[in-house]
Amino acid sequence: MPSTLPPLTSLTAAGCTAVITTAAGTWPLSLAVGLAAAVLAVRAGVGRRVLAAAAAVLLPLGLSLLMLHGLFFPEGRTVLAVWGPARVTAEGLTFALESGTRTGACVMVLLLFSFTVSAPDLVAALAGRGLPPQFGFVLASALTLLPAMAGRLDNIRAAQEARGLVLRGGMLSRLVGVRLQMVPLVLGLIEDSGSRAQALEARGFGGPGPRTSYREVADPPAGRRFRTALLLFAAAAVALRLAASWPVAGPS
Amino acid sequence: MSQQSLTLPATGPGSGAGSAKARRIRRVLELAGAAAIAGTYVFLVLTQPADIANGPASFSALVALGGFFLGAVLLIAAALPVLPTSTLVLMPVALVLNVVLGQLMGSTGLPFYFDAIGTVLIAVLAGPAAGAATGALSSIVWSFFNPTVLPFAAGAALIGFLAGLAARSGLFRRFYLAPVAGFVTGILAGVVSAPIAAFVFGGTAGLGTGALVSAFRAMGDTLLAAITKQALVSDPMDKAIVFAIAAMLVYALPRRTTVQFPFVRRFRVLAGTAPETPEA
Repeated sequence: MPSTLPPLTSLTAAGCTAVITTAAGTWPLSLAVGLAAAVLAVRAGVGRRVLAAAAAVLLPLGLSLLMLHGLFFPEGRTVLAVWGPARVTAEGLTFALESGTRTGACVMVLLLFSFTVSAPDLVAALAGRGLPPQFGFVLASALTLLPAMAGRLDNIRAAQEARGLVLRGGMLSRLVGVRLQMVPLVLGLIEDSGSRAQALEARGFGGPGPRTSYREVADPPAGRRFRTALLLFAAAAVALRLAASWPVAGPS
Repeated sequence: MSQQSLTLPATGPGSGAGSAKARRIRRVLELAGAAAIAGTYVFLVLTQPADIANGPASFSALVALGGFFLGAVLLIAAALPVLPTSTLVLMPVALVLNVVLGQLMGSTGLPFYFDAIGTVLIAVLAGPAAGAATGALSSIVWSFFNPTVLPFAAGAALIGFLAGLAARSGLFRRFYLAPVAGFVTGILAGVVSAPIAAFVFGGTAGLGTGALVSAFRAMGDTLLAAITKQALVSDPMDKAIVFAIAAMLVYALPRRTTVQFPFVRRFRVLAGTAPETPEA
């Protein structure tokens, strides 16, 4: 599952691909990028997880866009059908397709990155590039805390149910149930973080000065050149787009 | 840059003469971040494409992404290096709470998103700078699972910052004032986030909010106007509830836990919390 690319290279590749796709803004390219990301995800062995996460994000957005622009698009001129106040226009459907595929491509590429990158490697690489170590700590800590949370919430629910909590009924009893689960969870997490802060402080976390990383992340020069080329390409795409559609008349 | 030692309380001004320059740099970064966000918003509203029939505005999307991302990064850079460890370890907790409590509240079937409970909680306990950094960082970490929240980092930072300001000015001392502060925060955050939804995504992610936008579009509004109006309908209500939940959680925590935070002691954020050592 771990990516063969160094973390910074895959981060740059994902970010630049998303930027270039956004700058280009044509749906065939977006569709191709999204499909390519899906194929890469399947080949990396994370296809199921990437596609599930992407579907959870993209399906509501896609349906919402289709309803919004498919039925109501006052700027549309080519009317295909009229039902009462709703007008199906070709321009509206194109707009929904364009924005949907553009977002879809970016989501697929970024999910491919985040599901294949190794979080410790990424944090070490970022710290090596001069980012504050605090950033790396927050990133790594949150990424490891999040999966552990589902189990903790299950334990709290089981404990409260053993004490007679019933998670059914109307809105009010549900809200009471939510409160009975929330308070222990928040209290436990804040208590934990207090002791974690003391442990970190005792190990010099807040102190000034340089840090030594125990984790060496390989960064071959070929990857560095590839990154530079990608960044230049993305910058050129953004510059072209900005120059091509700079608002001429200013405020309209 | 200006790291406090182990024993000093964290966010107090005047924690050493040597940090005066660092404080100035930090202030400049904060102002630059806020200016980047405000400038991007004004620019987007002034130059919004009059005719979107030619396809989604890639130009506006790029400007929105770049400007808001720059603002969020500047705010993080200003706040992160000076936060004390006790606040820093709360940030992952805030993110986890944003996600988990959001899902928990979602299980009650209420039509709101509740994705800022953790951010507001941290802002109340640790102050505006911590709140802003938490909001922005939360969006970055959350984007590992849902990349569409990344462009909203600036709006999340604004929510955290305003929640911290509300706490500092004592709005969490009275339980009924917290939702009012949330309502005002929701108005500002909704207006700032609307261009992202309009230009980057071309709409909103939820079906309920999408229906609302459709209704405004049917009346002939532009996309940005329709989404701004939708945000003005949903966001203040959502943030009012989020602030009320955060207040409920803060008061449900034991006093022993809440008074550990220097911000809570110094500004007497919570009702009945007398400062242990009287400060100026």
